Amino acid sequence: MASTIARRLNVLKRGGDVASSFWQTVAYLLLAVLAVAIIYPLIWMALNGFKSNAELFGDPWGLPTTWRWENFEKAWSLGVVRYLANSIIVTGASVVSTVLFSSMAAYALTRHRIPLAGPITVLLLGGMMLAPTVALIPLFRLLQTLGIFDTYWALIILYTAFRIPFSVFLIRAYMITLSREIEDAAVVDGANRWQIFWLVVMPLSRPIIVSAGLLHALFSWNEFVFALVFINSGDLKTLPVGLLAMQGRVLSDWPVLFAALTMASIPMILLFLAGQRQFIRGLAEGIGK
Amino acid sequence: MLTSRGGRWTMLLWVAPAVLLLLVFVYFPVVDNLRLSMFRWNAFSPSEQWVGLDNYTALAADPIFWSSLFNNVAYAIVSVVFQVGGGLVLAAVLEELVRGRLKGILRTVYFIPAVLSLTITGLLFQFMYNPQIGLVNGLLDVVGLDSWKHSWLGESATAIWAIIAMSQWQSIGYVAVLFIVAMQRIPRELYEAAYIDGATRAQAFVRITVPLVREMTLLAMIITVSGAFLVFNEVQVMTAGGPNNASHTLGTWLYKSAFFNDQMGYAAAIAVVIFVITVTAAIVQLFLGRGRAVQY
Amino acid sequence: MTSAAGIRRLSQPLGVLIATVAIAVGACSGTASPTTAPASAGGASADPGATAAGQLEGSISFLHKYSDPRYAPYFEEVVAGYMAANPNVTIDIQAESDQGVKDKLRILAASNSLPDVYFSWAGDFTKKFVRGDLARDLTTDVTGEWASSFTPAALEAYTYDGKLYGVPITLDAKYLVYNKEMFAANNVSIPTTLEELLATCDTFKAAGVTDPITFGNVNGWPAIHFMTQLNPYYVPAETMSADYDPATGAFTDPGYQKALEAFADINTHCLSQGANGITHEAAQAQFLAGRSPMHYIEAVEFFALTEQGGAPADLANNWEFFKLPAPADAVGDTGYLTGAPDGFLVNPGSQHPEIAIDFLRYLTSIDNASKMVSDLGWLSPVQGSATAENTFEQNVRVIEDIATAEGMAIWLDTVTHIDVANAYLNGVQAMLDGTKTAADVVNDIQSAADKAKAETQ
Repeated sequence: MASTIARRLNVLKRGGDVASSFWQTVAYLLLAVLAVAIIYPLIWMALNGFKSNAELFGDPWGLPTTWRWENFEKAWSLGVVRYLANSIIVTGASVVSTVLFSSMAAYALTRHRIPLAGPITVLLLGGMMLAPTVALIPLFRLLQTLGIFDTYWALIILYTAFRIPFSVFLIRAYMITLSREIEDAAVVDGANRWQIFWLVVMPLSRPIIVSAGLLHALFSWNEFVFALVFINSGDLKTLPVGLLAMQGRVLSDWPVLFAALTMASIPMILLFLAGQRQFIRGLAEGIGK
Repeated sequence: MLTSRGGRWTMLLWVAPAVLLLLVFVYFPVVDNLRLSMFRWNAFSPSEQWVGLDNYTALAADPIFWSSLFNNVAYAIVSVVFQVGGGLVLAAVLEELVRGRLKGILRTVYFIPAVLSLTITGLLFQFMYNPQIGLVNGLLDVVGLDSWKHSWLGESATAIWAIIAMSQWQSIGYVAVLFIVAMQRIPRELYEAAYIDGATRAQAFVRITVPLVREMTLLAMIITVSGAFLVFNEVQVMTAGGPNNASHTLGTWLYKSAFFNDQMGYAAAIAVVIFVITVTAAIVQLFLGRGRAVQY
Repeated sequence: MTSAAGIRRLSQPLGVLIATVAIAVGACSGTASPTTAPASAGGASADPGATAAGQLEGSISFLHKYSDPRYAPYFEEVVAGYMAANPNVTIDIQAESDQGVKDKLRILAASNSLPDVYFSWAGDFTKKFVRGDLARDLTTDVTGEWASSFTPAALEAYTYDGKLYGVPITLDAKYLVYNKEMFAANNVSIPTTLEELLATCDTFKAAGVTDPITFGNVNGWPAIHFMTQLNPYYVPAETMSADYDPATGAFTDPGYQKALEAFADINTHCLSQGANGITHEAAQAQFLAGRSPMHYIEAVEFFALTEQGGAPADLANNWEFFKLPAPADAVGDTGYLTGAPDGFLVNPGSQHPEIAIDFLRYLTSIDNASKMVSDLGWLSPVQGSATAENTFEQNVRVIEDIATAEGMAIWLDTVTHIDVANAYLNGVQAMLDGTKTAADVVNDIQSAADKAKAETQ
């Protein structure tokens, strides 16, 4: 018996018979093709930013003959810097507000028996099914009435409101599983609820908070519909809308547009590379439950 | 329970900001949409005109509404097959076959498109699909498939499919990572036991992996399907719904009706339809997925 | 563990900082600071005709569709000049793109935030603002010397029911530009009829040229400009103007279908294929590179074909233009020339109409008009603004040509009601695609016209 098992395990360790190594090769090939298919367009995009217009039209596949950094400078000054700044402001502020309000709500719902807990939970989580596009027209008039049309506030408030459901979902699922010992100890020590929230519960929820924050940042950074309709001043445009406006402007100077696209991609890629482990761990701990 | 001081009612203050924001900016608009869809009005009309259900009958008779709906459904089906199905397979292959640093590198590479704004990928692919200088036609040239070349975004028949293809490119890595996360929780012993019993990799995948990531599959499907019905950004950037309204989705048709065709009541009616579809789809999926919790 | 903690600990004060900045910036974002522009080299002078300029006080917003970095600086300079002459006035510029301004204007109109001065195409495009009481009646504001400085046809284009609603700032017309060298090399002369044009295209194709007329139609209007010129050739003038008016539009004349079929012929013989996926600018690049002998463009784009405008030297001195020729058996008026002025409307709800009007007067002063002609190569409706001295020779000939035209055919997609415009835009794209025939498109146009009639009653 043992030798049979050992023999079989050996066979498996050697990679098995010809058929299975054939499939392995096929699999590796597909993985490689997929990787190229994903990376090459991005490289093409970056390279095109260095070309001249004539080169782009004449030889799309080729490398640029000279490295025209001036395209990047031009894209920067044409607005990429402004759009980046606006996106950072809106995303930064809405990440804070979303995570804050969602954590507060999750804390109240999971740690305390508040009246109307059931309906409130349904209300908060049910919001996940409602979409920004659907709310476009009514929000139009609502924002005018509130006087925040064409301001940062419009986007910050809207992004927060529309992402609270998902964030509450994540944070609540996590908080439910936290043990109460430390909190009970804190109560005995005389801490009030706010202190317990900030000093005990939040630190314990760090993984899911980071995850929720990163997910919200991803949404907010790339949000398009609201930014398109509710922001008019060129000064306030966020990155996605600004890039589109740029496409309309540099109609005849495409390398500059490619340069802009490349520069616009870098922040999120860097953020992702840096936060990858947290992001995935947070997802794992939050969603995996 | 920590409800000693201040009473339970003051805890309501903690949920108040979230609840208020949702009521005002998320729920109220849904209701208001219903009301607005019963009027005919636009940016230039001095007043609103009550038309009852006329906008809905117009919607039912509007060929572009139906083609938009069709496009959304196509989007959903293709996305489920490629992103959920393909993502699952990709995750399994990555987990099983690749080891160490290469796995991490590949995982990162596949995921990167998902962090790029849809505007960026939309504009990038607009160039990729350009009939004269784009990579897609160029690639077909290189491999000798000249006759397959098209003006991908310029022909009614191919436009929406070109956009859907771009969407798969962008999101397959994202869904694959979600599955990897779920797969890592499956105890290795189950696989080892199966191999000892002589199972092939494929059989282990079907009998062990797929059932045990059921919850993640459900989540991925919900995300993909609702995303497919809400699609706006990539279509607006790549074709704005053209040519000849062939690539419109419900979202872009809503936008065009409101802000190009001067028909805001009609657009509100489209919004109500989108709402009904997404909520129904979400409820159905939740209901179907409400099975036993995954047990190892 | 620590890095995550680090992120969170860092993100808290950072978040507060960002929120504070957002509050501070958000509070003043509604009234963005005035755009400062580099001091212009003596171009934007204060208009001596502006009355008591220094006394005006307040701020206005100004929306234009020239965000292209080739054109935007001119407007920034003019605004800076005006603000220098009127220190208590600030003007907030909102620059949009040509395609972007189409939905932007509607968004603004629907949200009651139309700027004080905003761009609008002539035709029903402006008329709908008039119908919605969103355009100020300028008949009593544009008078005397100011009014007579314009060519009358330009003011006509913005006049409805006898009242003036807009101030024109450019003059434009559509022509086929051609590469003289390629014509000479193929022994081709300028076609005088539509049939000759098609034959010319065949000659080029036989010689190996793939796109005799380079053409890109992503946004639909380039094809519509062809239709704008073809319709007057096939349909009698009075019928046509009655049909273009939404209140009386019917489009039952068989000439409309013939015009569409003529365009289909032009497409088969001459135009770049797959044009629905090519932008107008990408097509233009082919002409600039000397790969296509012809291109159908507006006079305001001529500047891009000159050396000063950045064209390659071997093209810059090597092109001329002619009007799209009429068929030999045209029943309509062959004297019509496709083109229109572009101009600005004033918001009747403006808090400072006097500033708005004064600014428009400044913008259309002879000095600023001449500056526009020499800086941007555009033609101005202000008489005397373009001479052989301040602009290239083709421009001067355009002015003469416009002056001799019997009438201007305004762009089909702005002169008609939006439903009819859409029927044309989408229908012609479908024709290029092969998914619709000319007869189908005429059906669409007719139903759209009926719908528009019902709406404007």
